[in-house]
Amino acid sequence: MMFAVAILGVLAALSLAVIRALKGPTAFDRLLAANAIGTSAIVLLALFGFMTGRPEFLDIGITYALLNMIGTLAVLKFFRYGALGHAQDAVKEREPE
Amino acid sequence: MIALLVDILSGAALTAGAAFYLIGAIGMTRMPDVFTRMHAVSVSETMGVGLMALGMILQAGPSLLAIKIAFVVLVLWATGAVATHALSRAALHDGVKPLLAGPDGRLVATDCVDLFPELGVRLAQPLSSETPEERGTPLPEDGAVIAEPAPGYGPAGNTGANPDAEPDPTREGR
Repeated sequence: MMFAVAILGVLAALSLAVIRALKGPTAFDRLLAANAIGTSAIVLLALFGFMTGRPEFLDIGITYALLNMIGTLAVLKFFRYGALGHAQDAVKEREPE
Repeated sequence: MIALLVDILSGAALTAGAAFYLIGAIGMTRMPDVFTRMHAVSVSETMGVGLMALGMILQAGPSLLAIKIAFVVLVLWATGAVATHALSRAALHDGVKPLLAGPDGRLVATDCVDLFPELGVRLAQPLSSETPEERGTPLPEDGAVIAEPAPGYGPAGNTGANPDAEPDPTREGR
């Protein structure tokens, strides 16, 4: 019962985050919303696993938490450098020696 | 008796956590600009997730499951802070102007470089903590960089701390 209440709350928060991801005027708004959606997914996985008596879902949640972090940082790095490698390497590859 | 108490406690923690989570999400939808939205999301990522995890830990009892939940929450707390920091730094570097109270008390998109000259110097430096010397040879001056860095804080030529560094007025804000 209480798990159902918590799941409903998190689902409502998730839909609000989706609204922000669709509306967000800047790319950073969308990224923030994407991060929040990822967190909501982790919490949902844990809660749903507990509600249905299969808490093994938590392992998927751990994986998803780590992936979420890496994804956000990768997108931020892409914004800054326009590439995921070092800017230095990009210069070296492009320069005709 | 004890079981009933634990049930009540975990139910209260779960409900309160869900409420905090929802409040943070409402803030993310209704706040006026990126930085205030980040501030709202941190509510749901700390209190919301933490309280819900407390409720689940109480339900799980002393077991491996409780340790796993605690691990997930610790990871979320750590990475949430790092991601928020990186996001706000990237937004500032990109020229997003935070809404600040103007002279008449209304919110105005303010270039915070005007308010904090120190911040202007830091924004003029590249995001990486390494200096070009640490990375190896410095980039060529007329930089054949694939990702053309925005003018004003390119990786080359501009790395020396220049106290007079001003943001390029042609820099577009998004």
